[in-house]
Amino acid sequence: MTRPAFLDGLTASLPIVIGYFPIAFSFGVAATRAGFSGVEAFALSLIIYAGASQFLALALLTSGAPVLVSAVTLIAMNLRHVLYGPALMRATGKDASTKRAWVWAFGLTDEVFGQALGALARGQRFSESYMFGLGIGAYASWLAGTAAGAAAGGGALEGWPAVSAGLGFMLPALFLALLLSILSRPKVPVIAVAGLVTVGGTLLVSATTGILAGILSGMAAGAVTGLARR
Amino acid sequence: MNLELLAVAVMAGAANWAFRVLPTRARTDRLQPGGLLERFLSATGPAAIATLFVAAILPSLAVEVSRLLPVLVGTAAVIAVYLSRRSVVLATLAGALAHGLVVWALG
Repeated sequence: MTRPAFLDGLTASLPIVIGYFPIAFSFGVAATRAGFSGVEAFALSLIIYAGASQFLALALLTSGAPVLVSAVTLIAMNLRHVLYGPALMRATGKDASTKRAWVWAFGLTDEVFGQALGALARGQRFSESYMFGLGIGAYASWLAGTAAGAAAGGGALEGWPAVSAGLGFMLPALFLALLLSILSRPKVPVIAVAGLVTVGGTLLVSATTGILAGILSGMAAGAVTGLARR
Repeated sequence: MNLELLAVAVMAGAANWAFRVLPTRARTDRLQPGGLLERFLSATGPAAIATLFVAAILPSLAVEVSRLLPVLVGTAAVIAVYLSRRSVVLATLAGALAHGLVVWALG
Protein backbone atom coordinates (compact mmCIF):
# COMPACT_ATOMS: atom_id res chain seq x y z
CA MET A 1 0.00 0.00 0.00
CA THR A 2 1.61 3.30 -1.04
CA ARG A 3 1.51 5.88 1.71
CA PRO A 4 0.63 9.03 -0.31
CA ALA A 5 -2.43 7.47 -1.99
CA PHE A 6 -3.72 6.19 1.34
CA LEU A 7 -3.18 9.60 2.91
CA ASP A 8 -4.82 11.32 -0.07
CA GLY A 9 -7.87 9.13 0.51
CA LEU A 10 -7.84 9.83 4.23
CA THR A 11 -7.66 13.59 3.56
CA ALA A 12 -10.48 13.36 1.04
CA SER A 13 -12.61 11.65 3.69
CA LEU A 14 -12.54 14.80 5.87
CA PRO A 15 -15.95 16.23 4.85
CA ILE A 16 -17.47 12.78 5.31
CA VAL A 17 -15.78 12.40 8.69
CA ILE A 18 -17.24 15.74 9.79
CA GLY A 19 -20.64 14.89 8.32
CA TYR A 20 -20.83 11.35 9.68
CA PHE A 21 -19.86 12.02 13.28
CA PRO A 22 -22.97 13.99 14.31
CA ILE A 23 -25.32 11.64 12.46
CA ALA A 24 -23.72 8.59 14.08
CA PHE A 25 -23.82 10.49 17.38
CA SER A 26 -27.59 10.97 16.93
CA PHE A 27 -27.88 7.27 16.15
CA GLY A 28 -26.04 6.32 19.34
CA VAL A 29 -28.33 8.63 21.33
CA ALA A 30 -31.47 7.24 19.63
CA ALA A 31 -30.38 3.63 20.19
CA THR A 32 -29.80 4.08 23.91
CA ARG A 33 -33.05 6.05 24.19
CA ALA A 34 -34.83 3.09 22.52
CA GLY A 35 -33.49 0.82 25.23
CA PHE A 36 -30.48 -0.76 23.53
CA SER A 37 -27.10 -0.93 25.21
CA GLY A 38 -24.04 0.95 23.98
CA VAL A 39 -22.51 -2.32 22.76
CA GLU A 40 -25.66 -3.12 20.75
CA ALA A 41 -25.70 0.34 19.18
CA PHE A 42 -22.03 -0.02 18.27
CA ALA A 43 -22.65 -3.51 16.83
CA LEU A 44 -25.35 -2.14 14.50
CA SER A 45 -22.94 0.52 13.19
CA LEU A 46 -20.08 -1.97 12.89
CA ILE A 47 -22.04 -4.66 11.05
CA ILE A 48 -24.69 -2.80 9.02
CA TYR A 49 -22.83 0.52 8.41
CA ALA A 50 -25.72 2.26 6.63
CA GLY A 51 -27.27 5.25 8.38
CA ALA A 52 -30.89 5.31 7.32
CA SER A 53 -31.34 1.56 7.66
CA GLN A 54 -29.83 1.60 11.15
CA PHE A 55 -32.42 4.17 12.31
CA LEU A 56 -35.09 2.02 10.67
CA ALA A 57 -33.67 -1.06 12.42
CA LEU A 58 -34.27 0.64 15.79
CA ALA A 59 -37.89 1.34 14.86
CA LEU A 60 -38.47 -2.21 13.58
CA LEU A 61 -36.80 -3.96 16.51
CA THR A 62 -38.55 -1.89 19.15
CA SER A 63 -41.94 -2.35 17.45
CA GLY A 64 -41.52 -6.11 17.66
CA ALA A 65 -41.41 -6.77 13.90
CA PRO A 66 -40.31 -10.36 13.03
CA VAL A 67 -36.57 -10.78 12.45
CA LEU A 68 -36.94 -11.84 8.82
CA VAL A 69 -39.34 -9.00 7.95
CA SER A 70 -36.96 -6.50 9.57
CA ALA A 71 -33.93 -7.90 7.72
CA VAL A 72 -35.69 -7.94 4.33
CA THR A 73 -36.88 -4.34 4.83
CA LEU A 74 -33.35 -3.15 5.63
CA ILE A 75 -31.90 -5.11 2.70
CA ALA A 76 -34.43 -3.58 0.26
CA MET A 77 -33.48 -0.13 1.51
CA ASN A 78 -29.86 -0.59 0.47
CA LEU A 79 -30.46 -2.17 -2.92
CA ARG A 80 -29.32 1.05 -4.61
CA HIS A 81 -25.74 0.27 -3.60
CA VAL A 82 -25.49 -2.39 -6.35
CA LEU A 83 -25.23 0.46 -8.85
CA TYR A 84 -22.20 2.11 -7.24
CA GLY A 85 -19.51 -0.52 -7.85
CA PRO A 86 -19.92 -0.66 -11.64
CA ALA A 87 -20.23 3.16 -11.87
CA LEU A 88 -17.03 3.65 -9.90
CA MET A 89 -15.08 1.02 -11.83
CA ARG A 90 -16.18 2.58 -15.12
CA ALA A 91 -14.80 5.92 -13.97
CA THR A 92 -11.47 4.32 -12.99
CA GLY A 93 -10.78 2.68 -16.35
CA LYS A 94 -10.26 -0.94 -17.27
CA ASP A 95 -6.79 -1.36 -15.71
CA ALA A 96 -7.95 -0.57 -12.17
CA SER A 97 -7.30 -3.35 -9.67
CA THR A 98 -10.15 -4.76 -7.60
CA LYS A 99 -8.09 -7.44 -5.84
CA ARG A 100 -8.80 -6.03 -2.39
CA ALA A 101 -12.27 -4.71 -3.20
CA TRP A 102 -13.73 -7.40 -0.94
CA VAL A 103 -12.48 -5.24 1.95
CA TRP A 104 -12.60 -1.58 0.82
CA ALA A 105 -15.85 -1.83 -1.14
CA PHE A 106 -17.77 -2.59 2.07
CA GLY A 107 -17.12 1.08 2.79
CA LEU A 108 -18.75 2.19 -0.46
CA THR A 109 -21.56 4.17 1.16
CA ASP A 110 -23.50 6.91 -0.64
CA GLU A 111 -21.07 9.59 0.52
CA VAL A 112 -17.88 7.59 -0.08
CA PHE A 113 -19.11 6.72 -3.58
CA GLY A 114 -19.95 10.36 -4.30
CA GLN A 115 -16.64 11.62 -2.96
CA ALA A 116 -14.64 9.00 -4.91
CA LEU A 117 -16.48 9.80 -8.14
CA GLY A 118 -16.02 13.55 -7.62
CA ALA A 119 -12.30 13.08 -6.91
CA LEU A 120 -11.84 10.99 -10.07
CA ALA A 121 -13.67 13.66 -12.08
CA ARG A 122 -11.23 16.25 -10.65
CA GLY A 123 -8.23 14.19 -11.80
CA GLN A 124 -7.49 11.96 -8.78
CA ARG A 125 -5.76 8.72 -9.86
CA PHE A 126 -7.65 5.62 -8.69
CA SER A 127 -5.91 3.13 -6.44
CA GLU A 128 -7.08 0.65 -3.87
CA SER A 129 -4.92 2.42 -1.28
CA TYR A 130 -6.83 5.66 -1.96
CA MET A 131 -10.13 3.82 -1.47
CA PHE A 132 -8.84 2.32 1.79
CA GLY A 133 -7.93 5.78 3.08
CA LEU A 134 -11.26 7.28 2.06
CA GLY A 135 -13.24 4.36 3.47
CA ILE A 136 -11.38 4.02 6.77
CA GLY A 137 -11.78 7.72 7.62
CA ALA A 138 -15.53 7.53 7.04
CA TYR A 139 -15.99 4.18 8.85
CA ALA A 140 -13.92 5.29 11.86
CA SER A 141 -15.96 8.47 12.15
CA TRP A 142 -19.21 6.49 11.97
CA LEU A 143 -18.09 4.12 14.73
CA ALA A 144 -16.64 6.87 16.92
CA GLY A 145 -19.81 8.96 16.55
CA THR A 146 -21.99 6.00 17.52
CA ALA A 147 -19.86 5.24 20.57
CA ALA A 148 -19.86 8.89 21.66
CA GLY A 149 -23.64 9.18 21.18
CA ALA A 150 -24.31 5.97 23.12
CA ALA A 151 -22.02 7.18 25.92
CA ALA A 152 -23.65 10.64 26.03
CA GLY A 153 -27.16 9.18 26.17
CA GLY A 154 -30.48 10.87 25.32
CA GLY A 155 -30.83 14.64 25.04
CA ALA A 156 -27.12 15.38 24.57
CA LEU A 157 -27.67 18.10 21.94
CA GLU A 158 -31.03 19.37 23.21
CA GLY A 159 -29.49 22.52 24.74
CA TRP A 160 -27.66 23.39 21.48
CA PRO A 161 -30.30 23.68 18.71
CA ALA A 162 -28.14 25.80 16.36
CA VAL A 163 -25.20 23.39 16.60
CA SER A 164 -27.54 20.45 16.10
CA ALA A 165 -29.14 22.15 13.05
CA GLY A 166 -25.78 23.05 11.50
CA LEU A 167 -24.47 19.53 11.94
CA GLY A 168 -27.71 18.14 10.52
CA PHE A 169 -27.18 20.21 7.36
CA MET A 170 -23.71 18.74 6.82
CA LEU A 171 -24.85 15.87 4.58
CA PRO A 172 -27.15 17.87 2.26
CA ALA A 173 -24.28 20.39 1.98
CA LEU A 174 -21.82 17.62 1.13
CA PHE A 175 -24.09 16.13 -1.55
CA LEU A 176 -24.64 19.57 -3.08
CA ALA A 177 -20.90 20.28 -3.15
CA LEU A 178 -20.28 16.87 -4.74
CA LEU A 179 -22.99 17.57 -7.30
CA LEU A 180 -21.35 20.89 -8.20
CA SER A 181 -17.99 19.13 -8.52
CA ILE A 182 -19.25 16.74 -11.23
CA LEU A 183 -21.61 19.19 -12.93
CA SER A 184 -21.38 19.56 -16.70
CA ARG A 185 -23.88 20.46 -19.42
CA PRO A 186 -24.57 16.85 -20.63
CA LYS A 187 -25.37 15.81 -17.03
CA VAL A 188 -28.08 18.46 -16.52
CA PRO A 189 -31.00 16.33 -17.86
CA VAL A 190 -29.86 13.38 -15.71
CA ILE A 191 -29.71 15.55 -12.57
CA ALA A 192 -33.04 17.29 -13.31
CA VAL A 193 -34.95 14.05 -13.95
CA ALA A 194 -33.39 12.28 -10.95
CA GLY A 195 -34.27 15.21 -8.67
CA LEU A 196 -37.86 15.59 -9.86
CA VAL A 197 -38.62 11.84 -9.69
CA THR A 198 -37.11 11.66 -6.19
CA VAL A 199 -39.49 14.41 -5.04
CA GLY A 200 -42.49 12.68 -6.67
CA GLY A 201 -41.58 9.19 -5.43
CA THR A 202 -40.93 10.41 -1.88
CA LEU A 203 -44.14 12.45 -1.63
CA LEU A 204 -46.37 9.84 -3.29
CA VAL A 205 -44.91 6.57 -1.95
CA SER A 206 -41.93 6.60 0.43
CA ALA A 207 -38.38 7.95 0.83
CA THR A 208 -36.86 4.59 -0.16
CA THR A 209 -38.99 4.39 -3.32
CA GLY A 210 -38.13 8.00 -4.12
CA ILE A 211 -34.39 7.29 -3.92
CA LEU A 212 -34.47 4.11 -6.02
CA ALA A 213 -36.85 5.60 -8.62
CA GLY A 214 -34.81 8.83 -8.72
CA ILE A 215 -31.52 7.05 -9.47
CA LEU A 216 -33.04 4.68 -12.05
CA SER A 217 -34.98 7.43 -13.88
CA GLY A 218 -31.88 9.64 -13.93
CA MET A 219 -29.95 6.75 -15.48
CA ALA A 220 -32.74 6.25 -18.03
CA ALA A 221 -32.56 9.96 -18.87
CA GLY A 222 -28.82 9.55 -19.37
CA ALA A 223 -29.39 6.64 -21.76
CA VAL A 224 -31.99 8.58 -23.74
CA THR A 225 -30.12 11.87 -23.95
CA GLY A 226 -26.91 10.11 -24.88
CA LEU A 227 -24.68 11.01 -21.98
CA ALA A 228 -21.51 9.48 -23.37
CA ARG A 229 -18.64 8.29 -21.30
CA ARG A 230 -16.12 11.04 -20.69
CA MET B 1 -26.51 -8.81 23.49
CA ASN B 2 -30.02 -8.99 22.05
CA LEU B 3 -29.97 -12.02 19.70
CA GLU B 4 -32.76 -10.71 17.47
CA LEU B 5 -30.82 -7.49 16.94
CA LEU B 6 -27.68 -9.45 16.13
CA ALA B 7 -29.53 -11.65 13.61
CA VAL B 8 -31.04 -8.62 11.83
CA ALA B 9 -27.67 -6.84 11.84
CA VAL B 10 -25.81 -9.84 10.40
CA MET B 11 -28.37 -10.40 7.61
CA ALA B 12 -28.53 -6.71 6.66
CA GLY B 13 -24.75 -6.33 6.96
CA ALA B 14 -24.08 -9.38 4.77
CA ALA B 15 -26.45 -8.04 2.11
CA ASN B 16 -24.77 -4.61 2.29
CA TRP B 17 -21.38 -6.25 1.80
CA ALA B 18 -22.68 -8.19 -1.23
CA PHE B 19 -24.40 -5.11 -2.74
CA ARG B 20 -21.26 -3.00 -2.38
CA VAL B 21 -18.51 -5.51 -3.14
CA LEU B 22 -19.74 -7.96 -5.77
CA PRO B 23 -20.77 -5.37 -8.43
CA THR B 24 -17.18 -3.99 -8.45
CA ARG B 25 -16.27 -7.26 -10.24
CA ALA B 26 -18.64 -6.53 -13.13
CA ARG B 27 -16.32 -5.25 -15.87
CA THR B 28 -18.82 -2.96 -17.56
CA ASP B 29 -15.98 -1.08 -19.29
CA ARG B 30 -16.11 -3.89 -21.87
CA LEU B 31 -19.53 -2.70 -23.03
CA GLN B 32 -19.93 -1.27 -26.53
CA PRO B 33 -18.94 2.43 -26.35
CA GLY B 34 -21.92 4.72 -26.83
CA GLY B 35 -24.40 1.84 -26.56
CA LEU B 36 -27.68 2.16 -24.66
CA LEU B 37 -26.51 0.14 -21.62
CA GLU B 38 -23.20 2.01 -21.57
CA ARG B 39 -25.00 5.37 -21.49
CA PHE B 40 -27.43 4.06 -18.85
CA LEU B 41 -24.61 3.00 -16.51
CA SER B 42 -22.53 6.13 -17.17
CA ALA B 43 -25.36 8.22 -15.74
CA THR B 44 -25.32 6.36 -12.38
CA GLY B 45 -23.00 8.85 -10.63
CA PRO B 46 -24.82 12.12 -11.39
CA ALA B 47 -28.23 10.43 -10.98
CA ALA B 48 -27.29 8.99 -7.57
CA ILE B 49 -25.71 12.18 -6.21
CA ALA B 50 -28.63 14.35 -7.42
CA THR B 51 -31.12 11.91 -5.89
CA LEU B 52 -29.30 11.77 -2.55
CA PHE B 53 -29.07 15.57 -2.35
CA VAL B 54 -32.81 15.93 -2.98
CA ALA B 55 -33.63 13.11 -0.52
CA ALA B 56 -31.41 14.70 2.13
CA ILE B 57 -32.83 18.21 1.76
CA LEU B 58 -36.49 17.31 1.22
CA PRO B 59 -37.41 16.73 4.89
CA SER B 60 -36.11 20.21 5.84
CA LEU B 61 -38.21 22.06 3.25
CA ALA B 62 -41.24 23.71 4.83
CA VAL B 63 -43.44 26.77 4.42
CA GLU B 64 -42.35 28.34 7.72
CA VAL B 65 -39.61 30.93 7.24
CA SER B 66 -37.80 29.74 10.40
CA ARG B 67 -37.24 26.32 8.81
CA LEU B 68 -36.82 27.36 5.16
CA LEU B 69 -34.44 30.30 5.59
CA PRO B 70 -31.54 28.29 7.11
CA VAL B 71 -31.82 25.79 4.24
CA LEU B 72 -31.80 28.53 1.59
CA VAL B 73 -28.87 30.39 3.17
CA GLY B 74 -26.94 27.15 3.71
CA THR B 75 -27.52 26.11 0.09
CA ALA B 76 -26.46 29.54 -1.19
CA ALA B 77 -23.30 29.36 0.95
CA VAL B 78 -22.35 25.95 -0.49
CA ILE B 79 -22.81 27.22 -4.07
CA ALA B 80 -20.96 30.51 -3.45
CA VAL B 81 -17.98 28.90 -1.71
CA TYR B 82 -17.72 26.05 -4.23
CA LEU B 83 -17.79 28.46 -7.17
CA SER B 84 -15.15 30.73 -5.63
CA ARG B 85 -12.82 28.09 -4.08
CA ARG B 86 -13.62 24.85 -6.00
CA SER B 87 -13.31 22.92 -2.74
CA VAL B 88 -15.84 20.31 -1.62
CA VAL B 89 -14.53 20.46 1.96
CA LEU B 90 -14.77 24.26 2.32
CA ALA B 91 -18.15 24.42 0.58
CA THR B 92 -19.58 21.73 2.90
CA LEU B 93 -18.28 23.41 6.04
CA ALA B 94 -19.48 26.85 4.88
CA GLY B 95 -22.97 25.48 4.20
CA ALA B 96 -23.26 23.86 7.63
CA LEU B 97 -21.88 26.96 9.37
CA ALA B 98 -24.24 29.33 7.51
CA HIS B 99 -27.19 27.05 8.28
CA GLY B 100 -26.34 26.88 11.99
CA LEU B 101 -25.80 30.65 12.21
CA VAL B 102 -29.20 31.42 10.69
CA VAL B 103 -30.88 28.99 13.11
CA TRP B 104 -29.05 30.70 15.97
CA ALA B 105 -29.95 34.22 14.68
CA LEU B 106 -33.64 33.28 14.34
CA GLY B 107 -33.54 32.04 17.91
